[in-house]
Amino acid sequence: HQVLRIKTKNEEEVKQLQLLESLEHLELDFWINPSARALPVDVRIPAVSVQSVKAFLESQGIEYSILIEDLQDVLDKEKQDMAESAQRQRSSSSFDFGAYHTLDDINQELDQLASEYSFVEKIQIGESYEKRPLYVLKFSTGGTNRPAIWLDAGIHSREWVTQASALWIANKIASDYGTDASITSLLDKMDLFLLPVANPDGFVYTHTSNRMWRKTRSKNPGSVCVGVDPNRNWDAGFGGPGASNKPCSDSYHGPSANSEVEVKSVVDFIKNHGNFKAFLTLHSYSQLLMYPYGYKCTRPDDYAELESLGRSAASSIRSLYGTTFQVGTICKTIYQASGGSIDWSYDNGIKYSFAFELRDTGRYGFLLPANQIIPAAQETWLGLKRILEHVRDKTN
Amino acid sequence: RAMELPTSHFPAARAAAVALGYLRYLRGGPGRGLDLRELRRARRQDVDDVGHKYYLELELEDVLDKDRTVNCTAEVLYHLGSKSRAPDVQVTVQGELRSTEEADQEFYHRIRSLEKELVAENIPDSHGNVPPALQPIHLLAGVASGYLIWQNSTENTKFHLARVKHVKQVKRSDEDLQFDYVVLLHEMVSQEVIPWEVTVLWHPQRGARVSRDQRQPGHTLG
Repeated sequence: HQVLRIKTKNEEEVKQLQLLESLEHLELDFWINPSARALPVDVRIPAVSVQSVKAFLESQGIEYSILIEDLQDVLDKEKQDMAESAQRQRSSSSFDFGAYHTLDDINQELDQLASEYSFVEKIQIGESYEKRPLYVLKFSTGGTNRPAIWLDAGIHSREWVTQASALWIANKIASDYGTDASITSLLDKMDLFLLPVANPDGFVYTHTSNRMWRKTRSKNPGSVCVGVDPNRNWDAGFGGPGASNKPCSDSYHGPSANSEVEVKSVVDFIKNHGNFKAFLTLHSYSQLLMYPYGYKCTRPDDYAELESLGRSAASSIRSLYGTTFQVGTICKTIYQASGGSIDWSYDNGIKYSFAFELRDTGRYGFLLPANQIIPAAQETWLGLKRILEHVRDKTN
Repeated sequence: RAMELPTSHFPAARAAAVALGYLRYLRGGPGRGLDLRELRRARRQDVDDVGHKYYLELELEDVLDKDRTVNCTAEVLYHLGSKSRAPDVQVTVQGELRSTEEADQEFYHRIRSLEKELVAENIPDSHGNVPPALQPIHLLAGVASGYLIWQNSTENTKFHLARVKHVKQVKRSDEDLQFDYVVLLHEMVSQEVIPWEVTVLWHPQRGARVSRDQRQPGHTLG
């Protein structure tokens, strides 16, 4: 069925439409009836009558446009949307993990998780350039400064599936403790720190101004261009190949290593803690699972173990929906890039350092449809879990 | 003389993106989008005084029918020294691509019968949504982007269509449909998002043709 919008130019045309209205066998459904007033006339036309009605209008010189191409499509989609929404509402929390959220909503959900689970605590490790808090969820079932896992997302703000996945993962870990053997044994031995929005200024900017913003929002003295690429700003081969020295570039490394407070806050936190065993970071897109190095194209000392673990994790990812992730060093797999976070963590003694590039491979890129958030989070979680199990078994 | 390349490493992946762009331009349309399902095999040959030639075996999927895949082979020759010369590409598709004749005719007539010229922006929206009525417009942008990707790639770049910033239909007195796009191309190595004006002419029988393109400076807002 189609819905047409008809614009009558004079009373004669209105009379023609009223004539049409009277032909009951056409089964026309006028949503706005023809009248002498200069309002458009909207009419639903059963499929079988569409061609003849259009022919009639054209022969009378009456202007029309197609308001709804295919009414069934619209109704089907609406029904689907509502079913999906109802399905999501039925899950334990009322937070929709299958949708994209604002920073305020995300922070609210962090509070919700912390209040719901005794072993989950929201801590602040610093402030962004524009003075937004950097919130980390700490998962700890006891002990003092247990060996720990670091997981962050959203260091590049336009990679929206990562912040969204981090939230799903946080909820998954919290709700699975006590029932899932793997998570339970992990959290009984180790702590986990999760930073879901590593670049909150950039994230807000992607909501308010530029969906494609990647960098921080720090001012660059002497330049009109704003921001530094936070994943070229770490003290690992800083300023080397694969990073730009131009402030207007999307891969600008900044004036010096750790110049970005978003980076410095994480560095200080991890150094002060002193007992991190794994450093994992989420990016999108490309479906890659990478380990050091990025700043140089030589293999890390632990190449064999990291390659093997990476492949195993990629296998776990693939087991769910068939999504394939390529595995390898940053330098060989994607490009040489200096000043990256997992190079820093690895060179500072955190052996299990991995960077994930999540879905997809370019069809939607940064604009991954919301209906893929949960599948992406689920499969990524399987890969992370595989790595965490290995770290758990090798630690202590 | 041709060296086997790991398909998981970036040189092969970049060449595959060029081949895909070229094929999208040639065979894509408002009813057909092609995506890379898997890069099966890649080899590289350094041709003295000419450039680097990649031999690829690809499995492609139809964006509108995920269960449907097709194999193809491709050769991508990047010319030595010249940054401004487009790579030479040849692609051979094994088997048949799904016919889009009906969808093409429907789209053609729908657009031709529009009272006002179609105008749209931000496809997909921030949440990745593409309204069904704009799906063919999005696919046609993929065709235009395929041309831009083919024409502007080097061994040091990897382009993808990030978003349609703006599209405007321009009514013509001949039988072609014309769409003036501003697309955002994401270049993976520099991580830049580049606005690019591109005009596409399309006809159900004759297919698509880029008649004009111009790279724009800087980041656009939004």
